Amino acid sequence: MRIALLSRTHAGAMGVLFGLTLSACLLVAALPRAMQGSFDAALRQSLRAAPAVQADLTVTVAPTRPAEDLHERGQFTTRDDRWREILPPALRPLVVPAGSGAGHMSAKTELTPVQGTGGQTYINLGWLSDMDRRVDWVRGHAPGAPGTMRWEGDSIPVFEVGVVDEAMSDMNLQLDQVKVLGEDHYVAVKIVGAFKAKDPSDRYWSHNQDILHVSRLLPPGKQEFEKHITTLMADPGLAVLDSFGRNLSYNWVLPINAARASALAAPDVDAGITEFARLLTLQSTSSAAPYRLLTGLPKLLDDFLAALTTAQTVMYLVLGGLLAVAIGVIVLAVQLLADRLDGTLALVRARGGSLRQVAGTGAALTAVAVVPAGLAGYALSALVPGPVLPIVHLGPALVVGCAVGFAAARLALTHRTPLHERRGDVTAARPSAKRVTLEVLVVVLALAGAYLLRTRDVTSRGLDPFLLLVPVALTLAAALVTLRCYPYPLRLLVRLTSRGRAAVPFLGLTRAARARSAAVLPVLILLPALAVSVFAAVVSDGIASTQRLASWQTVGAPIRMTSEIEIPADAIERVRRTPGVEQVVPAQTGRVQVGFGAERAEAIAVDLAGWQRLLDGAPISLPAEPAGGAGTPALVSPELRGRGAFEIGWQSRVKVATAGVVDVVPGFYTKGKFLVLPLEALTRPAVNTLLVKGDADPAALAEAVPSARVESQRAVLDAIQSDPLTATVRTTLLVVTVALAGYALVAVIVSLVLGAADRAGALAFLRALGLSDRQARRLTVLEILPMIVMTALAGLGLGLALPAALGPGVDLSSYAGDLPVSAYALDPLTPTALAAGLAAVAALGAYAHTAISRRRSLGAVLRVGDLT
Amino acid sequence: MNPTPNLTPDLTLSELEAEATRKKAAFGGDAHIVCDNLVRIYKTEGVEVVALQGLDLVVDKGELIAVVGASGSGKSTLLNILSGLDVPTAGLARVAGMDLLSMTAKDRLRYRRSVVGFIWQQTARNLLPYLNARENVELPMKLAGRARGQRASELLDMLGVGDCAGRRIPEMSGGEQQRVAIAVALANEPQLILADEPTGELDSETSGQVFDALRTANRELGVTVVIVTHDPLVSEQVDRTVGIRDGRTSSETLRREGAEGEIVAEEYAVLDRVGRLQLPRDFMNALNMERRVRLELESDHIGVWPAREEPSDEQ
Repeated sequence: MRIALLSRTHAGAMGVLFGLTLSACLLVAALPRAMQGSFDAALRQSLRAAPAVQADLTVTVAPTRPAEDLHERGQFTTRDDRWREILPPALRPLVVPAGSGAGHMSAKTELTPVQGTGGQTYINLGWLSDMDRRVDWVRGHAPGAPGTMRWEGDSIPVFEVGVVDEAMSDMNLQLDQVKVLGEDHYVAVKIVGAFKAKDPSDRYWSHNQDILHVSRLLPPGKQEFEKHITTLMADPGLAVLDSFGRNLSYNWVLPINAARASALAAPDVDAGITEFARLLTLQSTSSAAPYRLLTGLPKLLDDFLAALTTAQTVMYLVLGGLLAVAIGVIVLAVQLLADRLDGTLALVRARGGSLRQVAGTGAALTAVAVVPAGLAGYALSALVPGPVLPIVHLGPALVVGCAVGFAAARLALTHRTPLHERRGDVTAARPSAKRVTLEVLVVVLALAGAYLLRTRDVTSRGLDPFLLLVPVALTLAAALVTLRCYPYPLRLLVRLTSRGRAAVPFLGLTRAARARSAAVLPVLILLPALAVSVFAAVVSDGIASTQRLASWQTVGAPIRMTSEIEIPADAIERVRRTPGVEQVVPAQTGRVQVGFGAERAEAIAVDLAGWQRLLDGAPISLPAEPAGGAGTPALVSPELRGRGAFEIGWQSRVKVATAGVVDVVPGFYTKGKFLVLPLEALTRPAVNTLLVKGDADPAALAEAVPSARVESQRAVLDAIQSDPLTATVRTTLLVVTVALAGYALVAVIVSLVLGAADRAGALAFLRALGLSDRQARRLTVLEILPMIVMTALAGLGLGLALPAALGPGVDLSSYAGDLPVSAYALDPLTPTALAAGLAAVAALGAYAHTAISRRRSLGAVLRVGDLT
Repeated sequence: MNPTPNLTPDLTLSELEAEATRKKAAFGGDAHIVCDNLVRIYKTEGVEVVALQGLDLVVDKGELIAVVGASGSGKSTLLNILSGLDVPTAGLARVAGMDLLSMTAKDRLRYRRSVVGFIWQQTARNLLPYLNARENVELPMKLAGRARGQRASELLDMLGVGDCAGRRIPEMSGGEQQRVAIAVALANEPQLILADEPTGELDSETSGQVFDALRTANRELGVTVVIVTHDPLVSEQVDRTVGIRDGRTSSETLRREGAEGEIVAEEYAVLDRVGRLQLPRDFMNALNMERRVRLELESDHIGVWPAREEPSDEQ
């Protein structure tokens, strides 16, 4: 057959097929890419957000014998090269090459006391391989080679060192000062220069905080802080630096390039780190001083993967739904094309075309439409940034394969015998017992699966096939039940209408009830389309509302200002006068003594009624104001329950009486021991917290109370929402919802067109009997609507039930500020709008279709329809 | 398959007996089309519709016959079976020596490609509207993989539509379309042409042209032609008209030239192999015959009388 001619002749159906395949291939190739891209972005962000010392790999060794000491830079470099050589392949691309980025080597002593300070001051010796690049000398000069001096009769080495400028004043050090270090085996340092970091914000300094800042430690049982600083020496100092009598360690920092991290490789990286640690141990020269790997990367990755698993499950669930629906719609479009080809192919078959020729022609024609479309969609998906997953190749191939395969199979089946007309006067009998049993089995399995999913208590890593399978089974079960049951209410309606005088409702509903099995496909497409889009909408709504709840629970008020010190009355007044501030509720928080022992509890003294007024419209609520009783009425946490009246020490002694139990105080306490008092219970309240309502600028508020930290609910919400994973989950859900709604519409329209010839024939016949145009349009709408309405209702119900059914299996808390997304508020607006919109468009389509087909002459329609 | 009367002198008795009984079963001998007790039942999910209930038909090679009958009498089913598009449920159907019941799918395809050609009533079904006449005629040849350049033009010329060769189907009149359809049916040199109401949608003048085209094919190419028709113009011009009623052949009308050159038509009822006979409905109505009749054997005919009124006669 001449494929080009046929495709010209059936340009319409080919166009529909092309468009559908293009969009489907684009979506199934681009969405996983975009998703994986954002997973990567999220991983990179979490790696960048983590301190370098946690994310980077640090090889460290503490020499125990003089033989293990390193005295030359070359020895460090040799080892650095060796570490890089033995890096497992999974880590190699991730680690910044030697000599670039924050990669460096260091030698440091720890807890090296300054002689004669009684263990109060510690000056550690340090060497950085790239000191010159990292610091600027602000006073004095860079350290040079070490010398010697006499100390207690011995000759001890004197290291020339530099100290960070901040420490000079902080630790009362001067240039050219010489300090003797150690408890025995003394060394001395001569401070020859003071430096500042060239870029203190560089991640590099995360590894060397001890060099850049004085660290204060409060040893147990002591009142005064110990001060520690690590100095810097030059390369020649290494030759003298030994481990004898000192806590010396050598470090090689292999920084991670976050930009090259990928979520896909995360499990491999995890394994790679374990492997690297093992290989390092093997490199050790003595068992007393093994090379160790210090990194927080596995924990970072594990936390990330835990959040990722849920995102992946939800995403693959909706993507799978999208793919299934897209393939369904494409199959419907192939059916349209096959219907159009039917006459031609029946003739070809009758005139001696073999089954291969007939099916081959149909498959080739379908391929002409879908292969370029698939390639175009695949190519377009390359514009979407993100890594290439196998599904990016497989998805379009599957779509194209399904389309061509279905075309070939359907045509081969239809034209298996050359005369494929079926007698229209023979009605279908009742379904076989085998089929009913099978259908009941599917429904039972789906329900059992959902039950098991709800009751099981397993949190597995990675994609959970069971979790993916249950929704599919539930959808199939719902489709079967719909298909099997929808004639019953319809028949009831038919019986009712048959008593009425109007012919149109009776005729329309009867035609709907007698619809051929061709109506199965639209149901099978519409139902999952609606179910998945409603599911996506509900989950998305659930995440959004939980995010809002989380932000309110974090802050507790529209704006919260907290200060370490008391906020004076005039500052409160300034806050009140700040533009945009509507209401201010002062509060005092503190750690109070419970009773007379060592027991402590958190307390907040606040006017609960005033606070409640701030929360107008917020998803959180406060407990009622405690009332009455002897002493100050207080609300206590469950841990303080049952104590009746007790005393607390908060500035002065306050006698409180338990007036109620609260589980949480939003914005303040969620666990442990805490209590809520009225503000007036304190004799002289020292307000340190302000709860503010209004649209005030946080910067202006911060200016009004310089000591306060300003947190706003909106900023917290923005922070939760702008997380790349969260943003992706919500964007993907939105895209999928829109795409599915689109596909559902196309399915309705294509199924309308599919039944057009049949309907046109029937309508022409009825028009000949006196049916008016208006009646004809109503008849068509009535014929189409029952199926759409039933399917829409079933889809809506399934979509609303799915989150509840899968709820425990899908933990979305990492997208909602770590609050479990549990209460899927049945906000029926979006899903109902989806279902109603679909039904309305279907009805409109049917209406328009009848209006258009009116233009064809009755004679032509009747002749076209009459083929026997 | 057709038993071959290949008798040799050294046959055993049992073999001779077998041969004898087989020969008896060979109804219609080596006629071109043989239908014996043909049954076709449509079965759809448990419901049965009997379209043919024991039809007998014998057509010789090179014959041009018409099949007439009321709507629903089984004419089209018969034609579909003969064209290899449909398979009979029971009975015997043999065309050009090929048994239509025992054919494999491959045989059936070969049969449709080279043995039979057919024409439907609707031109829309016979021809592909987006191909021109020549391409339409070449289509069956290409499907069978034996395209020949000149054949299409020759056929179109022979049927008087040579000038339409390059025209698309919608650009032709109904008569031209049907003649092109005949050319399509003849494309692969079939031995048999089946036409289902080929003139049903045409006016009398055009039907004449189409019938002439069929007769041309019959005479010049020696093709057997079976036409299902309602058109008296057609049914009265063929040598033999077979009537079908309720899935059985009920009557046959033979035409021959009388002594003075006029056409004499004689209608016969069909007597099947077990002796069943369908009486024409108007004969039965005229004599108020129902349920049972009385038969009397005379020396040269059988008399059929309505049943007597007396109850005693009912025994």
